Amino acid sequence: MAKKRERLEVIRDILEAVKNTRKIKPTRLLYSSNLSPQMFKDYINELVKKDFIKIEIDKKDKKTFSLTKKGFDFLQEYKIIENFVENFGL
Amino acid sequence: MEIYNLIIENKDLLKIFYGILITLICMIIVIKTNKLFKLSSHQGIRYFRNAFLFYGLAFLMRAFIAAVYLYKFGKFYFLTLNILFEFFLVMAGFFLLYSLLWKKLDLGPQKSSLANPSVFIFYIMTFVIILIDQLWQVYYLLFASQIFIFLCASIISFSNFVTGDSRRRFLKFYFIAMILSLTAWILNALAALSLWNQQLMLDVHLINLVIFFLFLIGVVKITQR
Repeated sequence: MAKKRERLEVIRDILEAVKNTRKIKPTRLLYSSNLSPQMFKDYINELVKKDFIKIEIDKKDKKTFSLTKKGFDFLQEYKIIENFVENFGL
Repeated sequence: MEIYNLIIENKDLLKIFYGILITLICMIIVIKTNKLFKLSSHQGIRYFRNAFLFYGLAFLMRAFIAAVYLYKFGKFYFLTLNILFEFFLVMAGFFLLYSLLWKKLDLGPQKSSLANPSVFIFYIMTFVIILIDQLWQVYYLLFASQIFIFLCASIISFSNFVTGDSRRRFLKFYFIAMILSLTAWILNALAALSLWNQQLMLDVHLINLVIFFLFLIGVVKITQR
């Protein structure tokens, strides 16, 4: 059985998916995040609140997500955070 | 022996430097880990940061206590600083242990890391330890609590070292740091039982310096790009 993803890994996967497509629609992001709709909603709300991603609404009222500078910084620092957590057994 | 005598003759002055040095080490660790916590909201990093914040404050109190001795301030200052020192030290130990255990005892995300149900239990235990130690004018409960904390931390860090990824080199040093901490607290208790044997206390201070430098090196190395 596959190992359950840690919270940090889920956040990284969502941000990576947003980064790779620059702008991504909610449904596509839900599929690529591999989360239940409720968990996906919780994570997205948290990421928007933390200013890691921003929501853009176009003229046709369609929502897309894109990465902010803070989200980009998180992805840059992710390796360091992961390394720190694993080295200190936290 | 000569060097021991020289150090013991100037012990209060050296204790001030010792306290300030460990406080500075702790502050560097707090600044580095706070940056990681702000970005990740990782609860383990949060409690690890709190542990070193409280260790920093405890050793700052330690430096003040040495200054009170050296400059012969009143007993009131000594008593107040001593209580604060014991409070920060015991709380730091609880935070360090909780940073290793939080996943198993997780109560969900907490708004504050200084005021939540698990931390309130630490406050209560710390106040009981301080109260009894102050009433009895001994440090038996402080030593017993710290020996228990570092015994648990040694077991957990050994398990992390054995089961963890072999590429994570600091897991080994973390275990060594916990064994050294346990040794330092046992020696500290023995020194207290032998009327604060000065040479034994000097060994404790030296071990403490090694432990804090180990953590500093680990944190700085891992957080550098």
